[in-house]
Amino acid sequence: MSPVIELDNLSVRLGRREVLQGISCRLGVSGTGRAIGLLGPNGAGKSTLIRTLLGFHRPSKGSARILGYDCHHCPLDAKTRIGYMPENEAIIANLTAVAFLRLMGEISGLPAEVALEKAHEVLYHVGLGEARYRTLGTYSLGMRQMAKFAQAIVHGPEILILDEPTNGLDPIARRRMLELIREMKEAHGMSVLLCSHLLKDVEEVCEEAVILHEGRLVHHSDLEEERRSNRRFVELEVTGDDTNLDAALRAHGADGVTEGCGRWRIVLPPGVEFGELWALLAQYNLGVHKLTHRRDTLEEIFLKAVGHIRQTPGDEARSEEVSTHGRL
Amino acid sequence: MAVYRRGYQRYQGAYTSHFTRLLAFPRFSWRRLMSQRLVDIVIIVSLFWPVACMLFVYLCHHTELWQGLGGGLTRILSVNGQFFHVFMTVQSVFAVLLAALAGPGLIAPDLANNALPLYFSRPISRLDYVLARILVLVGMISFVTWIPGLFVFGMQAGMAGWGWLVSNWRLGAAVFAGFAVWSLLLSLVALASSAYVRWRIIAGAVVLGFFFVLAGAAQMIKQVMGADWALALNPGEAMSRIWKVMLGVELDAGPGPWACALALSVTALILCWILERKLRAVEVVS
Repeated sequence: MSPVIELDNLSVRLGRREVLQGISCRLGVSGTGRAIGLLGPNGAGKSTLIRTLLGFHRPSKGSARILGYDCHHCPLDAKTRIGYMPENEAIIANLTAVAFLRLMGEISGLPAEVALEKAHEVLYHVGLGEARYRTLGTYSLGMRQMAKFAQAIVHGPEILILDEPTNGLDPIARRRMLELIREMKEAHGMSVLLCSHLLKDVEEVCEEAVILHEGRLVHHSDLEEERRSNRRFVELEVTGDDTNLDAALRAHGADGVTEGCGRWRIVLPPGVEFGELWALLAQYNLGVHKLTHRRDTLEEIFLKAVGHIRQTPGDEARSEEVSTHGRL
Repeated sequence: MAVYRRGYQRYQGAYTSHFTRLLAFPRFSWRRLMSQRLVDIVIIVSLFWPVACMLFVYLCHHTELWQGLGGGLTRILSVNGQFFHVFMTVQSVFAVLLAALAGPGLIAPDLANNALPLYFSRPISRLDYVLARILVLVGMISFVTWIPGLFVFGMQAGMAGWGWLVSNWRLGAAVFAGFAVWSLLLSLVALASSAYVRWRIIAGAVVLGFFFVLAGAAQMIKQVMGADWALALNPGEAMSRIWKVMLGVELDAGPGPWACALALSVTALILCWILERKLRAVEVVS
């Protein structure tokens, strides 16, 4: 299966500064409609990476490919398949929304009459149908964000590159934007590269996450896989006599360590769900104070990746237990 | 089904050719420019002179209409290279006005609105963008330059007969080629000023200023240093001298056609360099 984005030792130098330094990775799977979150602190090189993919910057070393097309050597082939929503204000203020989208559709390769039809269709779809004959200069910030999103999808691209799409949106508009992004990938099979400072947005929409730090790739994970593995880790607090719980867990194929005072950390085997654990605790007549999945949130992953924390809070105690009990 | 009911459907059809995409820019721009009253007025006024020239051509071939005015007039009224040079000189002024009115609105708003990343993220290169913008201006300037010029030439050829056309075909070619070069130069000046000065009104003033300032500077150098070659620094004068050579009109003292062509080429290169520096999807500060 071919990747959507393929970076091979990609370095980009702007002036004297090497902004991207030898990034290599394969992101997404072509035609599967997956979303990739692009994260990193300010100055990490996210925007430079996006601009390199769009052919605005020339790689000083290595290469970047989109859907198999080299972004520097075959930029037009790559760009035909891209829909780009920039972070900054980027509209033509004196055009009406319909004229704007029609122009964008036509220069993307849509026939004139199709472009006009698509302009109306897309504007209705993103919720700007009633305002489509107003000039873009009269739009509010939220409407402009939607207009920018609309121009990115008007020509039906294979990959959507969205730079901070929820900037300046109120909670309802933000939810609508995220719904639209989800719809583009799930219903229309578009691959999405989502660059956002809002980790929650990435967590809600993306299946993969890439974290850049100081121009280097510091983390690349499959969020789906992370979510699945997180579901296997359970934190438990019980009251009552829990001396036999360890053996009982083993009998169910689970692995647990106690931290004392009724606190347990348990790793459930695949196929064992919370319900069975509840039944087990009831069988041993244990009162349950707390029973949760351990969540290694994207925020924790991010903070670990950029070196702000060494590990997820609570992991330290767990590793001590591991060294004591030799388990988990 | 009504558009508002059917929801978004991803386009799956064939894409248009590269050239068709480029033509989208001129179509949108012409529509917008033609809706500006001042542009319409300049175009209409600029057609008065070609109409007057056509009338002149008509009168030249109907001597019976003004026989009572004296025989000396017959010798003055003739359609030759000098006639077309005067025609081109007058029309070139209207072309400058049109470029100053229409040119600044082509790039300055795109830069001010940060629209270039949107264009360049599509299958459009920077060169394509400039070519499309030049096409807008060249197309518009053509309405007041070579198109009426060829009408005048065609009328003269039709009235004078096949023999005149065979012996004077180079006048028609000179009108077309001379105006083509002038239109191209004007377009580059207008686009470069539009790219350099993001405020439309100022950019329009810069286009006019470009010609006035260089004309003044050329005259000043000529007077102070006594150097005739300085006239080549005036784009209008340089172009006029090239037209004279193309039309077979005698040149007066001053720089020759090659020196003028070199001066115009250098000017065009500088303007292209300005466009190259200014028209970028993102500005990189090193």
